[in-house]
Amino acid sequence: MTWVWFHRLGSPPYIYRLAGRLTPWFGWIAAVLLLGALFDGLVIAPPDYQQGDGFRIIYVHVPTAVLSLTIYTSMAVAAAVGLIWRIKVAHAAAAACAPVGASFAAVALATGMLWGKPMWGTYWVWDPRLTSELLTFFLYLGYMGLRASFDDLQRADRASAVLAIVGVVNVPIVKYSVVWWNSLHQGSSLSLTGKDTIATPMLVPLLVSMLGFTLFFAAIVLVRLRAEVLRRERAASWIGEAIAT
Amino acid sequence: MSHFFAMGGYARYLWPSYGVTLLAVILNIIWARGLLRRAKTDARRRLAMQSEAR
Repeated sequence: MTWVWFHRLGSPPYIYRLAGRLTPWFGWIAAVLLLGALFDGLVIAPPDYQQGDGFRIIYVHVPTAVLSLTIYTSMAVAAAVGLIWRIKVAHAAAAACAPVGASFAAVALATGMLWGKPMWGTYWVWDPRLTSELLTFFLYLGYMGLRASFDDLQRADRASAVLAIVGVVNVPIVKYSVVWWNSLHQGSSLSLTGKDTIATPMLVPLLVSMLGFTLFFAAIVLVRLRAEVLRRERAASWIGEAIAT
Repeated sequence: MSHFFAMGGYARYLWPSYGVTLLAVILNIIWARGLLRRAKTDARRRLAMQSEAR
């Protein structure tokens, strides 16, 4: 009985309608949170005692960087579920994650470079954190490229799922690179278990921004998921009804 | 106001950071919507072909 919801999530018509209903909620709440974080982060939060106003890049850099890893993990989990239980919707979800994750990784790299120049004196160093995050970006591109190289969606799903799962070893490397190696990149300011090493007026916009970007990702992935589900349903009778509007 | 945009001398790094982020947000919206629109068009075409075949 408790597994009914799980089976429903594997049902294409159910997921198509549910995703359509949820998208505006996620999208508009994300818009409100991101605008709030923008104002709080750029206007209200005080300048840093060392980095001045330059630290404000944190509000776009950290959420996109963290999400580039969470999205990758979600993509790998969805791909594994699709591979093991042969659930089409799971493969569709994995495929929907990749372009969003790639764009977030690109933003994290670009904003990191723009933050590195004034603080470290250079846009780029082949540092463990920077290099492994660059690899994350390339893993997304590789996943998307591999999918695009197949005409048959089922074969694309299976082959790319293997790549997604293998690539997940890179995620802890990115996360712990600043702990394991002597990195130029600063350590984490946020901690789920210990004490945050950031002052509350600076922390609040960061948390709001992270939540905002997470919901934004959810909204985009739901739109992409609907497109992926439609592509996989060749002759299903529910489609006519679903796309009538 | 110009004090705000100067960002304590970090303007040339800070505004491009927010600029690329905004660009990525907008592109994500455009790409995802385009993908869904194309998927719907393709599905409609497939349905039309199937009903003709019958």
